[in-house]
Amino acid sequence: MTIGAPILEVEVLVIGLFVLMVEAFFERIDKRTLAFAAIFGLAAVLAASFFLAPAPTDVATTGFWSFYTADLLAIFFKRFALVTTILVLVMMVDYAPVVRQSVHGTTHQSGLGEFFALPIFTCVGLMWMASAIDFVMIFVSLELVTMSFYVLVSFTRRNPATLEAGVKYLILSALSTGFLVYGITWIFGVTGETNLARVTAVLADPALESGPALFGMVLVLVALGFKIAAVPFQMWVPDVYQGAPTPVTAFLSVGSKAAGFVVLLRVLQPFFMMPQMVKALTIIALLTLLYGNLAALPQTNLKRLLAYSSIAHAGYLLIGVVSFAGEAVAYYLVAYLLMTLLSFAVLVVVANQTGDNIEDFSGLAKRSPFLAFAMLVAMASLAGVPFTAGFLGKFYIFDAALRQHQTTLVVVGVITVACGFYYYLKVVRAMYWDGSSIDAPVPVSRLSRVTMTAMMVAIVVLGVYPQPILNALK
Amino acid sequence: MLRDYVPLLLHIGVAIGFAVSALLMSVLLGKAGRRTRVKDTAYECGMVPQGETQPRFSVKFYLVAMLFILFDLEIVFMYPWAVVYKEMIVESKLVLWSMLSFVTILMIGYVYALKKGALDWKR
Amino acid sequence: MVTLGQYLIVSGLLFTIGFAGVLLRRNIIIIFMSLELMLNAANLSLVAFSRFRLGVDGMPNYNAQVFVFFIITVAAAEVAVGLAIIVALYRARQTTHVEDINSLKF
Repeated sequence: MTIGAPILEVEVLVIGLFVLMVEAFFERIDKRTLAFAAIFGLAAVLAASFFLAPAPTDVATTGFWSFYTADLLAIFFKRFALVTTILVLVMMVDYAPVVRQSVHGTTHQSGLGEFFALPIFTCVGLMWMASAIDFVMIFVSLELVTMSFYVLVSFTRRNPATLEAGVKYLILSALSTGFLVYGITWIFGVTGETNLARVTAVLADPALESGPALFGMVLVLVALGFKIAAVPFQMWVPDVYQGAPTPVTAFLSVGSKAAGFVVLLRVLQPFFMMPQMVKALTIIALLTLLYGNLAALPQTNLKRLLAYSSIAHAGYLLIGVVSFAGEAVAYYLVAYLLMTLLSFAVLVVVANQTGDNIEDFSGLAKRSPFLAFAMLVAMASLAGVPFTAGFLGKFYIFDAALRQHQTTLVVVGVITVACGFYYYLKVVRAMYWDGSSIDAPVPVSRLSRVTMTAMMVAIVVLGVYPQPILNALK
Repeated sequence: MLRDYVPLLLHIGVAIGFAVSALLMSVLLGKAGRRTRVKDTAYECGMVPQGETQPRFSVKFYLVAMLFILFDLEIVFMYPWAVVYKEMIVESKLVLWSMLSFVTILMIGYVYALKKGALDWKR
Repeated sequence: MVTLGQYLIVSGLLFTIGFAGVLLRRNIIIIFMSLELMLNAANLSLVAFSRFRLGVDGMPNYNAQVFVFFIITVAAAEVAVGLAIIVALYRARQTTHVEDINSLKF
């Protein structure tokens, strides 16, 4: 049995609207039920995605199918978005008490329904974006994602740091939108097309004056640089990551980044024959690697540390993009999803009891051996210890780069990995070697315990047996 | 040799002189009247000003205005749709259903706003 | 007769003014207005491209005009959400100046 492609997005949208309506009409119910219902619904959609037949479209099509494709890359990233949203919703259930304190309303649970509904709408945006092959579609779905994130980032509005993060994110994201739109305008002006495949066809004509299109592409690259947090467009990342509610930070660092890379992989295709483009991307990748890893060294706040680490990982992913290694990028993104969300999940639970500084994690091995071990796995994978998904991800990326003779990138990459070992293991040292004044065990709900275990198993299994991910794109 | 610079010097002198004299003239001649209580009152039968110059208005106003703009702007999609409707409905009913689903989503947004009391002026 | 180039120059100027406003102004509301100016610069050049690059059948390129519709609606939504956040910030801090928003520096 096969189903048509846009059904998945419609289903997720219906789930989101359903959650919103229940929130509006039934004020008295326990809002966490909504989150469980949403998780269940998204899991059902995820299962349904395996019955989807890939249907790549050709250049000649018009109408809906010139905007939308259901090729393997699209389906892969749709599943990616669904898994991310499910894991973030699990985290949000744990985070609910904090939201309750910092949003005032008529009932003690007001605001929670929207807190659970917005990630679902973000997920719809991510799924449309995975399939978008037209600049109009890319723009609209990217804005759907960004707009939901505006609200999510400043959601706990009684907390001044959150509001500040929200305003910063708002201004800089809107700026990047401006660049994106103006860039698309110029590409359209030269080619007269908004469909990516047709843009490629027009640009392949050597008689065409491609300067203005290249200018437009640079503007689009700036906009995407904001989304994936590449240097020098990374300045919003540390502040926004630190100020936003923790599950939203996790969502931002995985969802927003993956979305940026999908669009990057698709949008760059018409421009890859131009050598200037590859050179510019190489320089951006180098800067991102160096900045992310070096600035992470002195951090004492774990959320900020993870923010810089997310910049650093954008650098490794860019190496993959420059080396035309779509599969390596996809695998790295999956590994990144697992290890980042696992560390944020532990962070949410621990921060409920103490705080989100690294010293709040000291002695965690005694207070909760399970959480400490989960964090150990996440950190080891982020650093790139062998037999974890993080190691294999870096291995594939460097392998692809060596095949393209990008030696500089590989050398800098390996050096920065060593840097990464230092600051990731700082967290591990705090958990296992430092003592703590608090002895009270950290309570972990059964749902998060199950999800964390699943993520740990996935990290180790994918680190040894990566074929399922690599085959998904063939 | 130095002679060549005389016109330039002259020019600079004239420029400075003009600027100084213009400023002096405005100070000497253009007397801004002193503000008095009588002068600040309304002219003839004008209204007597009340309250502060920047009155605070209710945040409700902002909310309703924003909702108006949002729903108002969605009409933009209906114009091109209405133009091509007659041609396209012959081919398939898809054109009808797509607009219906769009309006449904808008309606859900409206119901949500209504239920949350965003349009309730008194609250 | 106004040419395509003249439209593009005006649109480029609008974009530059908007970008300069974002960089130089210190009031968040004005920064936000500048951002909208940047979007409208793109709208102007899109409409100009659509009007001057006629298709084979002599009709304007409607793709660009549809894109303009989307930009307008997205900009409206962005303003609604953005102003809500700025109002919330103003109520918490009693200020809309960027220099006062600096508690998150390290």
